[in-house]
Amino acid sequence: MKSVITITHPCEVFCSFTMSAATKLHKTSWCALRQLQQYRTKANFSASSSSIAKRNELFNQEQKRQRDAVGRIDKIEVRYLGLPEDVTLVMNANISTPYNCAQHLSEGHKRRSALALIDGSVPWDMHRPLQESCTLQLLHFQVSEPHVVNKAFWRTCSFMLGAALNRAFKPEANLQLHSFPGPNIKSGSFVHDIVLQTRNWQPTKEEMRTVSAEMVKLALEDHEIERLDVTQDIAQEIFKDSKYKSEQLPSIAQQTHGRVTLYRLGDHIDISRGPMVGATRFLGKCTISAAHKVADEGETDGFYRIQGVALPSGIQLNHVAFGVLEERSKKLNPARLPNEPFEEHQQLQLS
Amino acid sequence: MLGGVVFKLRDLGLMKLTGSMVIHVRGKGHLNRPRIRNPHWFLRKKLSNIGELTTSDNKVFINQLVRENYNEADVSNNLKVYEQNLMKTEASISSPSIVISQNRRCGTIARKIGEYPLWLNNGEKIRTTLLQIIDNHIISYIPPEKYSPAHYPNVKNVNKFGCLLVGAGTINPTWLTKEYCGIFHESRVMPKKMLARFLVSPEAALHPGTALNVAHYRVGEFVDVRGKTIDYGFQGVVKRFGFKGMPASHGVTKTHRRVGNIGGGGEKGRVWPGTKMPGRMGSRWRINKGLQVLRTYLKYNVMWVQGSAVPGPTGGIVYLYDTILPHRKKKISSIASLSYENIDKVTDDIWSEKLHRFKDIRMTHKNE
Repeated sequence: MKSVITITHPCEVFCSFTMSAATKLHKTSWCALRQLQQYRTKANFSASSSSIAKRNELFNQEQKRQRDAVGRIDKIEVRYLGLPEDVTLVMNANISTPYNCAQHLSEGHKRRSALALIDGSVPWDMHRPLQESCTLQLLHFQVSEPHVVNKAFWRTCSFMLGAALNRAFKPEANLQLHSFPGPNIKSGSFVHDIVLQTRNWQPTKEEMRTVSAEMVKLALEDHEIERLDVTQDIAQEIFKDSKYKSEQLPSIAQQTHGRVTLYRLGDHIDISRGPMVGATRFLGKCTISAAHKVADEGETDGFYRIQGVALPSGIQLNHVAFGVLEERSKKLNPARLPNEPFEEHQQLQLS
Repeated sequence: MLGGVVFKLRDLGLMKLTGSMVIHVRGKGHLNRPRIRNPHWFLRKKLSNIGELTTSDNKVFINQLVRENYNEADVSNNLKVYEQNLMKTEASISSPSIVISQNRRCGTIARKIGEYPLWLNNGEKIRTTLLQIIDNHIISYIPPEKYSPAHYPNVKNVNKFGCLLVGAGTINPTWLTKEYCGIFHESRVMPKKMLARFLVSPEAALHPGTALNVAHYRVGEFVDVRGKTIDYGFQGVVKRFGFKGMPASHGVTKTHRRVGNIGGGGEKGRVWPGTKMPGRMGSRWRINKGLQVLRTYLKYNVMWVQGSAVPGPTGGIVYLYDTILPHRKKKISSIASLSYENIDKVTDDIWSEKLHRFKDIRMTHKNE
């Protein structure tokens, strides 16, 4: 069967796997980055590039509109709790983000913080504007209670997987991203559900490696993950080319009072509820391990569940232990399947 | 002049201009270009950062998993080693023994664990060295057509021989890189600390995963031992070359252990290359040939070889080969550690006939 995935140049795949992703992040050279940028310009995305450009333009416009709508800048007091000491920062309401607070603290805080915790309980994206005076904690992956940041990481991995799949598949495959279910780390894998124009895709080892390599490349490119809260109309406009997203939007908007949360990573835009980590550089070792055929769809298409496992950058694990995790992640993830009709209350689980 | 001091411009990386005087240094202008191509098993071995973030429960779990995943024979039960698979080539099935004079057999990797005296039946005391064959397994075989190393060994008719990669000294795979562990996938043995090649004739090729033990060598046979000699560091000529030195007293001034004269005069009045002088002593690869195997103990994989001529310190690694000395070569020998027919006849502790066993009756001396 003809290969559906663009196999990247052997040396690029090889490059990713001679060293672990973790070491590669630390050893980025200009040479490698330039190669990546060259690759990006010649990338053939499954969705047409014009529709992607249109989406991003709409996103940018909405972002600018929301920023301009702030008007008179009010000041808020953000009480930072944590190391090296508790401080009170005076920030701008609806403009300043936890990332800006981290910038006031130190370079280390800026680079290391993946997620923010507002008032001790509300997880908050690093690049999401703060609205009122609050207490702020900056979370990284070595905190004593990492459950919140771990979930955000898992969710971000699913999100990045969507972007990676977009890059990996050829236009002929007619890839359509469906959705990704809520993060469940104990299941052993993060998931992204897709629709392909084939009923019997059996991915080879090289194809899986290519997708993993795309994830690693995204991590190296260090994209900021931007959040945007939009009305249903704008969301419909953005996703008018995507069949499945357009179908999902009404039910999503219904749950969240007519607003839809969009996340952007480079050129890739997706819908998700919960917080994501601040940037793609937090992805360390990553393996996309399995692609399970879930169901047939329509006349010729098929639903597939792509699964993978990843570690945050900075966490070192020997290959034997990681091999165990990889084996586990190959099992079909029991999360809600894309073709199953879901009840009203379960829709809240839609990430 | 600058007191006879010469600046090495290459090393300094600049030209020292003193007025109109420029000092040039001739040389080839580059460092020695590396000409070696490393063998395929020459990979980064150990992880630079193991990472200590797993909980103790997980560590125990991982260790259990490691033990389960590898062949049971690895886990140092020497008696299980008898279950071997000879390589299923036609030659090996028809003739499990080979004619040593025309063929080469696999060698082994051993560790020098000490020296001990043994006594002959006539009462003579002889020195022996104990060598332990540590967990040897065949990792892979490369047939002669495919084997083209960068560094050919100094052996006649090298192109006729294939290469057996032997590993010794099992190590925990969690400490190693994935690439290095990949070398051992084919043979399914636990990763090894040391890897060595041994040239073998195709008839004597062994299957990957075969264990090698001390029964590979029979008592009474002769082995060549290759090892790195003890590193003495920078030594003077008295220790290094056995120079006599000079008297300690009787007016001798400041010259007790020095070299003395280093050459003559005349037309070739210079210090000849190779003149013995102080320098680094030891840490050289040396092969000592024709050491007789006097005793083997299968349970601990230990053999006693005659003499104390095994290069290297106690605890050092040596490589054992069948001897090339023509009068001490065995005519015919079996390829593998033990052929299946002889398993029942084997006892753990085999002594040479000329040795006096400690448990035997005491020797009697003839009255002179």
